[in-house]
Amino acid sequence: MQRHINIYHLYPAHLNLYGDRGNLVALQKRAQWRGIKVNIIPVEPGSKIIFAKCDLLFMGGGQDSDQKLVAADLKNRSVEMKKAVEEGMAIFAVCGSYQLMGHYYRLQNGEKIGGLGFVDLFTEAGDERLIGNAIVECMLWSPSKTLVGFENHGGKTFLGPSVQPLGKVVTGFGNNGQDKKEGAVYKNVIGTYLHGSLLPKNPWLTDYLLQKSLEYRSQDSNLEDLDDSIETGAHQEAIRLAQSRRHKRQSTRV
Amino acid sequence: MIKNSRAANKAGGHHSRLPVTNILPGIWAAKTLSLTTRILGHGGTTLPGRVALSLNPRIVSYLAGQTAYGNLIVSGTNGKTTTSSLITSILQEAGKSCIHNQSGSNMSWGIASALISNATLRGLISADYAILEVDEGALPAVTLETTPLGIVLTNIFRDQLDRYGEVDKVQQSIKKGLDSLSPGSFSVINADDPTLTAIVNNQDITTFTYGLEINLPDDDFQDSSRDLKTCPLCKEKLAYAKIYFAHLGHYQCPACQYKRPDPDVKLTGYQPGPGNKISLEIDLAGELISLNTPLPGIYNIYNLMAAATCAKALEVPGKNIVSALGKAVPAFGRMEFFKTAEMNITMALIKNPVGANEVLRTLITGKEENILLVAINDKIADGRDISWLWDVDFEKLLSVQELFPAIYLTGLRAQEMAVRLKYAGFSQEKLNVDKDTGRAFEQAINSHGSGKNLFIMPNYTAMLEIRRMLNNMGLGKAYWEEQ
Repeated sequence: MQRHINIYHLYPAHLNLYGDRGNLVALQKRAQWRGIKVNIIPVEPGSKIIFAKCDLLFMGGGQDSDQKLVAADLKNRSVEMKKAVEEGMAIFAVCGSYQLMGHYYRLQNGEKIGGLGFVDLFTEAGDERLIGNAIVECMLWSPSKTLVGFENHGGKTFLGPSVQPLGKVVTGFGNNGQDKKEGAVYKNVIGTYLHGSLLPKNPWLTDYLLQKSLEYRSQDSNLEDLDDSIETGAHQEAIRLAQSRRHKRQSTRV
Repeated sequence: MIKNSRAANKAGGHHSRLPVTNILPGIWAAKTLSLTTRILGHGGTTLPGRVALSLNPRIVSYLAGQTAYGNLIVSGTNGKTTTSSLITSILQEAGKSCIHNQSGSNMSWGIASALISNATLRGLISADYAILEVDEGALPAVTLETTPLGIVLTNIFRDQLDRYGEVDKVQQSIKKGLDSLSPGSFSVINADDPTLTAIVNNQDITTFTYGLEINLPDDDFQDSSRDLKTCPLCKEKLAYAKIYFAHLGHYQCPACQYKRPDPDVKLTGYQPGPGNKISLEIDLAGELISLNTPLPGIYNIYNLMAAATCAKALEVPGKNIVSALGKAVPAFGRMEFFKTAEMNITMALIKNPVGANEVLRTLITGKEENILLVAINDKIADGRDISWLWDVDFEKLLSVQELFPAIYLTGLRAQEMAVRLKYAGFSQEKLNVDKDTGRAFEQAINSHGSGKNLFIMPNYTAMLEIRRMLNNMGLGKAYWEEQ
């Protein structure tokens, strides 16, 4: 039987700020190139997610002003979503939606927006935005691999003891600009501040998510190798630029 | 004819408050630098202004305060350069002399540079108007410094988010600009853009709106770049009766009262005609005009509407508007045409999803064979975050890929662009990657064996590099010579 993956894309109308489409395109193409069928199902606030069919959940970044609306809708789904997460469903959440995986987001005026709370982390509004290219050393593999992307966030995220960071910051700010941690991994949930888009030029992370989605439904998770010379070229190009003096100088706290 | 003239009080004008000696060193330094960089062959539009501002930060208000009728500001994400060029042409057609920062250098130092290059060595300016294209982030400050007669706004799209943070921030900055206008001045607003109409509430200024009231085929072109699909007031998803492109159209919130205002200036007729000209019918707040424009694309129609509305606000006669807009040529880098013995070259600036999608649409509907050269840098002026490339519908090119015998990718992010096209479905053998823009340009221009048209899509700093190469081939004037 042909392998297949259903990707639920949460709130494309509200969370679509930073080339999130690139992440979806990467997942879709790299599956298709291996003969795996992919369905992408857009979900807007109020519409239904059939968790029995959802193999991978993708959420992007949005404007701060959309955060509350999205948080309210997610709350209604939190019981089912948490159950699926505990059973091994993969979630890939970038930026704003990464913050919502945690306990809360505290705004500058002290107001707290409650998150889903199934990843042990919290976020506080900083008084500056952390913007620039970032490289992290990612421990999902052994030996570790690098991930490279672009970060742009006003919130500072801190991890609790029960979650691992996605990686260690080599260049850039990461979760909070202080503890050298970037992103979070809990079971098969991956949250990150990196966009750019992240997945196209870090194909090993794309494949990791595809494998976790296949394993979750007990499908064959073997992925044959692809010619990744162009993707690896873009990865190296981004790493070189992130490490150049020009980019370091331009990484800003604004 | 023209409102708000300050010609009458020019004699005792603004600049008498500041001793001339404070200003002159900045002007001299800037002029010397500007001359030096031109001799070296660069169009220095930023350095002279930066130096002058560091010597005296009030230089912009001093120089801008001398224009006989006053100043106009054009801002918004896309179309600033074209719209401000069009306003300049209309005013010149009406016999007025204008200063315009036309090379697209629209931060405070670019504005300072433009004003200085039009000032005498004694710091005097004799123009009727300064038409200033102003970056959205610089809008509040420049508005306070230049006390313009009016602000003309084109649209708000996603662009250079790494600089501003978020679209909301851009919107706030523009609102601050509008709120900084002096009582009695005016604003010109795109009625079809809900992000703009949402921020108009300054009762002390007159607001003129413009919008399209025509029928176009349904637009399925760029859903992913529709930045704002929710009501700016209550966050409900907006309902559209018509969409012209991206989020521009006839919108209404199903939950609250928020809806598109009835525009003062309406485009009522749109008909592509012979010679790539489009014939337009415009209702200029009751005065009907018709004209033929050579500017391609709906995005240019919006620019043209903005310019016509601004002219109407200044009470310029309709006949001047018709004749100026009929002669309009595309602005610097936006869509330019060059010709060599072997090749026709088109260069179209791309810098954000909405603008880039419009360029792709022009490329696809042209149905002509083209060698493609895409040049992407990630310098500060480009925006260092290039994720927007993933929101451009390069997939649409795939259905007509036989039109592209060769594809060259260059710039600091050439490899990322190659990945983008690979994931759009192009086979990787077809993608020629060379990050050296000079070499890639040379290859593309020497590949005329495989085609006679070259289509170049650069982002901002890549456009400046390629323009210099075209100039070195004797094609097109250097932009600092166009003033």
